[in-house]
Amino acid sequence: MPKLYTFIKYFCVILWSCFVIAPFLWAISTSFKDFNSVTGGATYIPWLQFEPTLDGWSVLFKPGSQGGINIIGPYFNSIFVTFTASFISIALGTLSAYALSRYTFKAGFVQNNDITFFFISQRIMPPVVLAIPFFLFLSTLGLLDSLAGLILVYIVLLMPIAVWIMVDFFNRVPKEIDETALIDGCNPFQAFFKVVLPNSIPGMIVAGLFCIIFGWIDFFFAFILTFTNVQLLPVKIVALNSSITPWWSLSAAALVSVAPLIVVAFVVERFLSKGNLSGALK
Amino acid sequence: MSLNLGNIIFKPTEQYHLNDITLNFEPGKMYTILGRTLSGKTTLLKTIAGLLSPDSGYIQFEGKDFLAIPVWQRNVAMVYQQFINYPHLNVKQNIEFPLKQRKMDPNLIEKEVSDAIQKVGLKGFEERKIQELSGGQQQRVALARSLAKKAKILLLDEPLVNLDYKLREGLREEFKKLFIGSEASQSIFVYASTDPLEAMQLNGDIIVIDEGKILQTGSAKDVFENPANAKVAEITNDPAMNLNKGKIDNNKLILNNEIQFNLPSNLQSMPSGDYLVGIRATDLYLDDQGFDFQVDISEISGSETFLHLHHQDTKCVATIEGVKSYEVDEHVKINFDLSKIYLFKESGELHYSPYQN
Amino acid sequence: MNFKHKFVFLLPGLIVLIGILIFPIIFTVRLSLSGWNSFNPELDFVGIKNYIRLFTDDPRFWESFFRLSFLAVTTVFLQYIIGFALAHMVWKDIKFKRFFRVLFLIPMMTTPVIMTVIWRTFFHESLGPLNDFLSIFGVQPQWLSSPGLAKISIIIVEVWQWTSFMFLLMLAGLLSLPKEPFLAAAIDGASPFKKFMYVTFPLMAPISIGAIIIRLIEASKIMDTVFVLTSGGPGTATETSSFYIFIKGLREFQMGYAATMSFTYLIIMIISLTIIAKVLTKVLMKE
Repeated sequence: MPKLYTFIKYFCVILWSCFVIAPFLWAISTSFKDFNSVTGGATYIPWLQFEPTLDGWSVLFKPGSQGGINIIGPYFNSIFVTFTASFISIALGTLSAYALSRYTFKAGFVQNNDITFFFISQRIMPPVVLAIPFFLFLSTLGLLDSLAGLILVYIVLLMPIAVWIMVDFFNRVPKEIDETALIDGCNPFQAFFKVVLPNSIPGMIVAGLFCIIFGWIDFFFAFILTFTNVQLLPVKIVALNSSITPWWSLSAAALVSVAPLIVVAFVVERFLSKGNLSGALK
Repeated sequence: MSLNLGNIIFKPTEQYHLNDITLNFEPGKMYTILGRTLSGKTTLLKTIAGLLSPDSGYIQFEGKDFLAIPVWQRNVAMVYQQFINYPHLNVKQNIEFPLKQRKMDPNLIEKEVSDAIQKVGLKGFEERKIQELSGGQQQRVALARSLAKKAKILLLDEPLVNLDYKLREGLREEFKKLFIGSEASQSIFVYASTDPLEAMQLNGDIIVIDEGKILQTGSAKDVFENPANAKVAEITNDPAMNLNKGKIDNNKLILNNEIQFNLPSNLQSMPSGDYLVGIRATDLYLDDQGFDFQVDISEISGSETFLHLHHQDTKCVATIEGVKSYEVDEHVKINFDLSKIYLFKESGELHYSPYQN
Repeated sequence: MNFKHKFVFLLPGLIVLIGILIFPIIFTVRLSLSGWNSFNPELDFVGIKNYIRLFTDDPRFWESFFRLSFLAVTTVFLQYIIGFALAHMVWKDIKFKRFFRVLFLIPMMTTPVIMTVIWRTFFHESLGPLNDFLSIFGVQPQWLSSPGLAKISIIIVEVWQWTSFMFLLMLAGLLSLPKEPFLAAAIDGASPFKKFMYVTFPLMAPISIGAIIIRLIEASKIMDTVFVLTSGGPGTATETSSFYIFIKGLREFQMGYAATMSFTYLIIMIISLTIIAKVLTKVLMKE
């Protein structure tokens, strides 16, 4: 019954699409409201049901001194922290992944797979378990409420991802290429940088994408470990979630913060279709 | 300038991969390492290259302790059976790579690279990416890269096994021609193979290896005609040499107590007793006066037919000229060319070969 | 390979990771053996008193653990089924394929907290669009203030957010499958249903396992959603282990006890995840 199946297929896909879009549409609509529109009951369509205003939006760019919320600072902080932590995680993670893929380690009963598991198990830790110790750790180092401190913590979060993806990737690059490089006169470092690395770009891009995504969306650590000096985007926005919740600016801020990763979604889809992602993710 | 291996042992797991290997390679010569799959050929090559370290033993090259020199400082070259090239570089860059690594004079590099490209017949392909090339072409690039290095030791690990038949024949001839070039440059040329026919065609010195042990070394002709033991006889023939229990008694040669021949003149001087009787598949022939055998399997390969036969307990394979079809269980009459019989002691060692003088 | 080189590759990453982690981990264990709380903010030593309390006198912890298991397993199960189904549907033969694929990827790219904030307004019982719509049918469910529905709200938000991730992994997996088995199935005249049951699903088994494990690991950390949407409420209806630890540690400042819970939780998680991984492998690989 191919026709029935096709119908079901389109029906489900469209249904889910509506589900996906729903919160966004609501947020967009809400961002143009003001106090009255919100408290009067649920309203949807601008102009028909309420008077749209740009209050919610303009207040985002005004600094706090003028009664605004200013998300530009936190925005850049988030970008800086995410990218720096991702970069370092990928750099160190790739090196370690290469070692785990190519060499055998044995220290007593600890072997390669155990070390890889150690890296990956960092993801099992719920943020809350690490939060308190990290809090004390950073305050001892004087790095609380600082970009550097946060980057340090994010490295712990992101390096496992880089290692997980790159170990798998390296396992699929034939060892013989490394060997040929050695035979051709490269010491192991040169072999890695001149031969293996140029052929690992797809894997590193995948690792990069995942690191950026998981770094950008973190809330908890930024929440616990920063206060006034450094503010990251998610924290800033949740801080607005107080008793007199300004729904309109909240929605506007939310939309602004979510926008960049929509671009990432495009990039990921392109990668998928080209088949690069599939290989790396297996 | 010779390469000497002594008492090399490599035992990474429960089994020996290399079991007390002692070999000598002289410069300017071609060596074929012949053995079945997993016999240790690749391990041996990798040990010479330095990719694997033996557990004990010594390797000396040009009088120096080779084991103390890391891979990237030994002047060797290796061609793998999977076409291995640098995927991110084009043909020219691939061949240049080791020379650039050595920081050679750029003009000299140009000359060597174009020389090598010429030799392997890839002129005009310099700018092509590796992925665009066919299997044979990729393997030629790997070969060119090895040649351009002018390495003192050139290792090839079944380089033609992944190519089709015609290509294999053609490239094998080219190898021999290229070798004449390295003869002049006094390199050591080591070629690993599972195919006895290939080993014969290359016509160098053969080293027979099985389960990590060297069974025999010698010229191609010598190893083929006078295998040191039954195992070597199996490895150096395809199909394997037929081996059956037999005995000489009362002026008769009897196989498995069921097939009897009058003792031929060449075997008259052999003492009576139990032997392992060997005869090549090509030395059996269809003969209406022969013995009755039943066909188990009939295989066609190229322009020959291989018949797997049995006569009660006696099993053998016969090579028949031409492409003929036989049914399973069909009866055929087979006879043996007794002038080509080999006798091995029950322990396996060669007792008599039809070629010994 | 030379002995030294491999360490130079491995160690920088490993050392950095351990370096940043070691203090927190050791400290947590040490803390769990102390009685640090807001009245007594010092690192004294009370032995395993905290652990005894945890195992004999704190049903709330174990309840939160069961709640967590329930939520994690339910959401991952739903995400797997929906994600796989969606991936299968946009795999081939559909109009606007790229549009749907990008659209379905978007939720996982969004910051969970931020979206949850929006969901909070969405689920708002008097001013939110959901109840506004449902009032047509005369129902006004108390999404965030009734225990059962609060759990469902969390599940809905989690499913919205993370099905996208499952979708990505499944689609990547499907796109990497070899063509030959499918050609064989076509030649054999297999119906779409048979094709799925006997070709697609078995081939996807290893990827499915990997994806489920990864999602379970991430799902067990459910925090952001609970924090923003329900604050563990109403009462303790949606209080997960993470949240309970958070309350004890950073609201009531019973750091010592919180550390005990953290460490115990960690061990339980590692053990259960390893077991689940092994079981899943056996079950799915047998097919």
